[in-house]
Amino acid sequence: MTKSAGASRFRGSEAANGLAMISPTATFALLLLAAPLATIFIYSFMTDGYLEIIRDFTFANYVEAWTKELYRVIMLRSLGVSLAVTAATVLLAFPVAYFVSFHVDASRKSLWLFLITIPFWTSYLIRVFLWKVILGYNGVVNSGLLGIGLIDEPLTFILYNVNSVVITLAHAYAPFAILPIFVALEKIDRSFLEAGRDLGESPFMTFLRVTLPLAMPGVISAVLIVFIPTVGDYVTPQLVGGPEGQMVANLIQLQYLKLDNYPMGSALAVTAMGIVTAFSLLFLFLNRRYLKGAK
Amino acid sequence: MTFSAEKSNMIEFKDVHKYYGDYHALRGITATIKAGEFFSLLGPSGCGKTTLLRTIAGFEGISSGAVMIDGKNMEGVPANKRPTNMVFQSYAIFPHLTVAENVGFGLRKDPRSAAEKAKAVTEALEMVGLKGFGNRAAHALSGGQRQRVALARALILKPKVLLLDEPLSALDKKMREQMQVELIKLQRQVGITFILVTHDQEEALVMSDRIAVMFEGEIAQLADPETLYRRPNSRKVADFIGTMNFLPAKILSEADGKVEIDAQGFGPITLNAEQVSGAASSTGASVGFRPETLTILFDGQTAPDRESMAVVEEVVYYGDMTYYDIKLDGSDQPIRLSMRNVFGRPVLDIGTRTRVAWAPGALVVFR
Repeated sequence: MTKSAGASRFRGSEAANGLAMISPTATFALLLLAAPLATIFIYSFMTDGYLEIIRDFTFANYVEAWTKELYRVIMLRSLGVSLAVTAATVLLAFPVAYFVSFHVDASRKSLWLFLITIPFWTSYLIRVFLWKVILGYNGVVNSGLLGIGLIDEPLTFILYNVNSVVITLAHAYAPFAILPIFVALEKIDRSFLEAGRDLGESPFMTFLRVTLPLAMPGVISAVLIVFIPTVGDYVTPQLVGGPEGQMVANLIQLQYLKLDNYPMGSALAVTAMGIVTAFSLLFLFLNRRYLKGAK
Repeated sequence: MTFSAEKSNMIEFKDVHKYYGDYHALRGITATIKAGEFFSLLGPSGCGKTTLLRTIAGFEGISSGAVMIDGKNMEGVPANKRPTNMVFQSYAIFPHLTVAENVGFGLRKDPRSAAEKAKAVTEALEMVGLKGFGNRAAHALSGGQRQRVALARALILKPKVLLLDEPLSALDKKMREQMQVELIKLQRQVGITFILVTHDQEEALVMSDRIAVMFEGEIAQLADPETLYRRPNSRKVADFIGTMNFLPAKILSEADGKVEIDAQGFGPITLNAEQVSGAASSTGASVGFRPETLTILFDGQTAPDRESMAVVEEVVYYGDMTYYDIKLDGSDQPIRLSMRNVFGRPVLDIGTRTRVAWAPGALVVFR
């Protein structure tokens, strides 16, 4: 077969049609996602000079990122916050998803999902600001608790620290956890649950042995969807984190915009991405038995 | 396998009613199923047969009446505490477990050692013809294999009653016929009471010791397959089970266990009283008979009992059988007649006049 015959066959094929169809999106993704990522990756191996970036290949940025006490503390804090947010969000989202899937009349389910996503109609920034109002020194929580006499003076541990970051992020990401778990629960054939009961298990044991394992693909999606973006969240720690609630995104922003140290900022960003990827892959590996081939 | 002469009652329904809102799904079911019996609930979809089965399993509550299993009232007893196991229509094989884990699912509280349980699982798989399948993933099984896993998973718990909810409907014809025979053998081997729900009358006739035919939430007739086929108690049951011809008839007199009727195409006949069924109705009586109870007489053959003349209107050739639609002299309605094709016997043409043999004993009169 000649080369041109092969080429004309390709032009008419389904694969060519498919590629043509995705090419605008692919171009967009390449330009706005892959290219900036590649730029950051390249920056991270360069040297910072005064007012310019010196094109010298170096590992110095990474050595600093991995050894400096401050960076390590902030990276570990970011991971800790993200894990806490993930745990809280997924644990609280599961009962909601379970309730909507199993106890809400089929005709009302879409209404419930609509209500769950309503907070998303408000800007993320405004929602974070509102948490400031709720958790503040003279905020809703404190004045409420003072009013009913449960506390004598306002609580200070709920704003401008790690706790407030966790609370705010958990609220912001709740729908992202509820939806995949709901979808996984919806897919469970109800005769599996009857089979569990029929084979002698109580409702609780049927949940543990049948419902939960079958919902795990949804739980795994929820964990990743919450964990991956929260590690790098910038707005929430900036607004409600206070000095001791700063996370790695704030550090990267500081390097880039305040200190004008692009290579250091890039090295921190790549490091954070690497750690998140490693954690996610490890998590997927530990849960691989729930993800194989089941229909 | 031996049973005492008098089989005990395994399931008793006592005037069971079930409402879904305003919908009356079960309307006063009263029936008894004996221990060790292969019992079928047969009826068209929506007749309540699956609902009735699910009241035994404990998946449906009842609105009034009582369901007894082995002499115990099951009211308030949850599904997991009932001595029944079910083979679901969809088989409900857990997709996250292997075949062996599926079969052993119900053994968690079994006090036996892990090794003994594993042995029981192996034996159960062997019994249903799936030896060596234990480590397969459940989702990699064919329909027939899933069904065998479902059977093994239920039977390993040695239930008093095995409930089968249309277990063969998802299989192709050949597989279905093979599984019918296997289920009958399995039932004889384990001696457990089997209750089968089906809408396939042929399946029910082949497999069951007794059949309850249900229409609209009620049991229309409960009998063994032969009685059901030969002496259906209503036109509706007769219509549902196999093919039955109907011709209008008039009841002339009833006395001393004898009934005189005048049936279209047959003329005046005297029948036994037990051949008449159904309550008196205003629409007029009819006489029913199966296609195979009429025989076309060829040259030189004589009727053992009665003989009439008829015209062939339609011929349908099936290879082993030929179906004729014929009109008896004196009747304006075609009736179906089936003949086994014997070597050397011709298939008649449309329009042929022929003699037809019949027997009064094969007729059923519906009032």
